[in-house]
Amino acid sequence: MELFCLGLNHRTAPVEVREKFAVGTPRLGQASADLVELAGAAEVVIVSTCNRTEYYLAAPDAGQALEILERRLLEREKLDGATSSHFYRKTKADAAVHLCRVVSGLDSMMLGETEIFGQVKQAYHAAHAAGTTGGILNRLFQRAFGVGKKVRTETSIQEGATSVGNVAVDLAEKIFGHLKDSQVMILGAGEMCRITAQSLVSRGARSIFVTNRSFDRAVELATEMGGTAVKFDDWEQVLEKVDVVISSTGAPHALILREHVEKVRRARKYRPLFFIDIAVPRDIHPAVAEIEEVYLYDIDKLEHLANEGRARRQLQIEHCDQIIRDELGKLNLPGLGG
Amino acid sequence: MDRWFLIAATALAAIGGGWGMVSVHRGQRSRVTVVWMLFVLVCQFGFLSLRGQVRGSCPLHDPGEILAYLAWAVTIFYLVVGSAYRLSLLGVFSAPLVVVLQLGALGFVAVEAPPHRIPETSAFHALHSSAAVLAYGALGLAAISGVMFLTLNHQLKEQVLRSGLFRNMPPAHSLLVSLERMLWVGTGLLTLGVLAGVFMGPAEHSPGHFFAAIAVWTAYVGLLVFKTFRGMTGRKLALASVAIFVVSLLLFFSV
Repeated sequence: MELFCLGLNHRTAPVEVREKFAVGTPRLGQASADLVELAGAAEVVIVSTCNRTEYYLAAPDAGQALEILERRLLEREKLDGATSSHFYRKTKADAAVHLCRVVSGLDSMMLGETEIFGQVKQAYHAAHAAGTTGGILNRLFQRAFGVGKKVRTETSIQEGATSVGNVAVDLAEKIFGHLKDSQVMILGAGEMCRITAQSLVSRGARSIFVTNRSFDRAVELATEMGGTAVKFDDWEQVLEKVDVVISSTGAPHALILREHVEKVRRARKYRPLFFIDIAVPRDIHPAVAEIEEVYLYDIDKLEHLANEGRARRQLQIEHCDQIIRDELGKLNLPGLGG
Repeated sequence: MDRWFLIAATALAAIGGGWGMVSVHRGQRSRVTVVWMLFVLVCQFGFLSLRGQVRGSCPLHDPGEILAYLAWAVTIFYLVVGSAYRLSLLGVFSAPLVVVLQLGALGFVAVEAPPHRIPETSAFHALHSSAAVLAYGALGLAAISGVMFLTLNHQLKEQVLRSGLFRNMPPAHSLLVSLERMLWVGTGLLTLGVLAGVFMGPAEHSPGHFFAAIAVWTAYVGLLVFKTFRGMTGRKLALASVAIFVVSLLLFFSV
């Protein structure tokens, strides 16, 4: 019995191809059972996320089974042969290494991300419950989860923020600790504001005020965030009570000036105020940062910090791969021979 | 023998603080500093109890004992407040202060050894001394939180965020909360000490000492009143708590 993997991901296939093969979480078990029949394999696990769909199978002859599986998948989705160029194929030990890299977040779009670990676990449990796993895939996946944990604890592959939104959230937490008591004002209802605000909400920020020149868009974003829409003319009053301000309005000149903040300092009792300016041209005048309790970060600094985080993670890849090789080498997993 | 306890406490604090600093420099949180500080506390207990037995009263009768007692108070407040996860780094900052205070104490103790037995003193005198030194432990820890806040604030304002120290620092908000709590505890104990001083009568203290105590108490109460009712920036609060602590220490050792 030999192990193999057929897959496509964000690097090999565009979204219009990936979506053809995507399998929703509730269908993972049934889809694995269907594939046992379709490919004539003994064991199957399907891993499907927004960035990848991968089929892990065990069959008596990996080469032959790969060919059959690929052909039948294309037939089922009514796709031509050119689509096979989007697939990657891994057999035996390469397939095991690939799974460990996926579980460890080394193959993810955002290097080192942790969500994939849970997604693969969910996929494995679904297949296991559907009865499509056996001696080979059970041991392989259990081993891969162990390796994934080891990689994350022994390296800093998941440390540091790698996106502007996460950098902003990390900084907010460094200033305020838990964000559950923090109030946030969003100036502008663009995509960058939404993403950054979502990052803050995901870490506990509860009170969100959204203001925008078009009030309808402010209401729309406020509804999405579970916050409150504020008329654009009233943002100065809101400044009195918030802790974090995210700004990206598209205004041609600075919107928040030093005097605006000076005016509310007394009422705020000089509490810390964190400005995240992701607009170009900048919405917040640099002189605002001269105020003692103000922390001002613009898009360049946030991007720079995110790039540093990504670079730090890149440096960890070799160490992670070494752990994977060492850990897989310790066990004589079935299906990897030859 | 008492000296050896103090030497051991100083060495342990130096090792714990040094270990913590190396860990922080490497970008890791030191998990053992709190353990070292526990051993420091045990040795400090050893020193103070031996001195107390010989003196026949609370060991606060020479500058060395006062410094050692102060170091003990800083350690105990750190163990109460700083052993929590978010403030664990407080130990790395507290340890150097403990070392400095105890080195000072060792210098004085060397002069004062062996201590002479103290004739019976009033209960107010004992309460005054112990409450005042405990207050200084809390106020010392407030000053340490202040230094930590100033360090973190500088890094955040100047956007220098690469160091291991930055990664391991507790949030600025936690430091300010800790600072303010310690100021309240310290000022409360100081009030008790000053009141006991008033009741112990003029024969037992010098006027200079009494006025210095009133001045320090007024400064701390003023700071808390100002912070509570008007509000002030974290930086000003931190600077004030460090400045008052240092000035008041110098004041007491000069009168």
